Amino acid sequence: MLSGIDYAIVIAYLLGVLLLGIYFRKFVQTSRDYFLGGRLMPFWAIGMSLVVSDIGAVDFVGAAGQAYRYGVVVANFDWIGCVPAMILAAFVFVPYYWRAGVYTIPEYLGRRYNDYVRAAEALIWIVFQAFGLGIIFWASAILLNTLMGWPKGVSIIITATITGLYTVFGGLAAVVMTDVVQMIIMYIGAAAILIMGLISVGGWNGLVDKVLAMGPEYQNHFELILPADTPTPYPWTGILFGLTFVLANAYWIGNQTIVQRCLGAKNEWHAKASMLWGAFLKLFIPVLVMFPGLIAVVIHPGLENGDEAVPRMIRDMLPPGLTGLLFAAFFAGLMSSVDSSLNSTATLWTKDIYERYIRRGASDRHYLIMGRLVTLIILILGVLTAPLSEKFPGMYVYVQTLLSFFQGPTLAILLFGMFWSRTTPAGGLTGLIGGIALSAFLYWKKAVFFTIEDPFLYISWWSFVGACIITVTVSLFTQPKAREELYGLVFRLEERDVALQAKLRNRLDRNN
Amino acid sequence: MLNFDWLHSVSIGMAKGIIISLYVLIGVAVWFLKREYIVLDVESPRPWHNLKWWTTGVLTLIIAIYLYF
Repeated sequence: MLSGIDYAIVIAYLLGVLLLGIYFRKFVQTSRDYFLGGRLMPFWAIGMSLVVSDIGAVDFVGAAGQAYRYGVVVANFDWIGCVPAMILAAFVFVPYYWRAGVYTIPEYLGRRYNDYVRAAEALIWIVFQAFGLGIIFWASAILLNTLMGWPKGVSIIITATITGLYTVFGGLAAVVMTDVVQMIIMYIGAAAILIMGLISVGGWNGLVDKVLAMGPEYQNHFELILPADTPTPYPWTGILFGLTFVLANAYWIGNQTIVQRCLGAKNEWHAKASMLWGAFLKLFIPVLVMFPGLIAVVIHPGLENGDEAVPRMIRDMLPPGLTGLLFAAFFAGLMSSVDSSLNSTATLWTKDIYERYIRRGASDRHYLIMGRLVTLIILILGVLTAPLSEKFPGMYVYVQTLLSFFQGPTLAILLFGMFWSRTTPAGGLTGLIGGIALSAFLYWKKAVFFTIEDPFLYISWWSFVGACIITVTVSLFTQPKAREELYGLVFRLEERDVALQAKLRNRLDRNN
Repeated sequence: MLNFDWLHSVSIGMAKGIIISLYVLIGVAVWFLKREYIVLDVESPRPWHNLKWWTTGVLTLIIAIYLYF
């Protein structure tokens, strides 16, 4: 339980974030200010926001729990599962999105392919974000109930009120700038438990020696790469093909919640730099969030549920004050996930559905009000649907699994859309739908096709491959868009065409 | 086939080599990008605006991590 000073720290943090977020209300005059922060944001703030949006309160406990069970192999999700994809995003996708002046990924896909692809992608994301919000609220409420003894409803109402107020009024700028504070709090809180833990086990060398001495089942706990035939869900083949090539790229270049921040950068250089700055900060996440799980292997051996590792360490090791700081970090993780989800869902609805299909040509002020209204409605829906997670305990896993069905196919049409001008609208649409169908089929028949316990990495890879084959095949038999329509949407297409025309002119001049 | 059985004989050392090669490849590819593309929108580019160095720094750190573990 928390002491007086811990409560003071948590309350000071919550009030500070609320005031900071609401301060940004005065900068919101147009829908562009609201959805893209006026395109004035610097790289350092976006980079920090990218990192903190990726880590929720539940991840603090869950990632440490996975590290407790499987070892450092879990860190691949933040290292190889982020850095290469963030570099690709920085130098290829983000500059093109930024130049195109789009608000959303579906909007880019709509321009590159057609409105069907745009609507399909937008609806998929809206549905999952809306469902996901209730689940985030509930999972975090359970965590705070376990750790602090707070009633679940209290955690949900506090988080929803504070996050809702600054997101509804301040838009993306408020989300990003509060994320900066949240990232700092999160890093300090996580560092506190890491340092205290390392001291108690005799430093890094003491930790390694003690874990390895615990028996043969711990011999791989410090191996980042596990054999292809490992019974765990993380064989190196799955890490490379499923995570590195598909899921990571789909997340960092195709996830609206992530990419929207970069679209709000003050110029193209800041957009690129934000991804690289975020990649650098990402390198520390496994150390701060997962390594406490490894320390818990020594301090609390034999736990049946690895997710108990961090709560026990907090209870047993942290002095008053630091405990409050760590709880502020939990809130930071929760609030950054909620504000990101709210803002991106409101943008998708307003720009890709409402403005495109329901009310075209309305005033900018109308869309600004709609954006704020939708943010509020999604928030209320999230709060009201949160208790459903208790009635359907496997809901979180189902939603995550369903979401993974779309990752490979979305990546396939993004890659072909960006790099192959011959890809047609029909190819993109059938690739998306066919890939999703293949994912669902492989998941349904996973016991027949796969040997590991949870083959989500392999399913992502093969659905990506399937979507690529369908996209290429259909594109070869259907009509592509005119090249001029694709300028600014396909990587270096205009530059290549200009160079080709110059070459032809030179050749003609020489022949004449 | 779907379980990548054909890669089961690849050793851990070789797998790590493949992953580190991927990082090196990305690092080299970034250095082939034109400087004008990298510093686009920067009015008076200074050395720290060159994002190729940023990329090299991040990749060096992650290669060190994969060599250590």
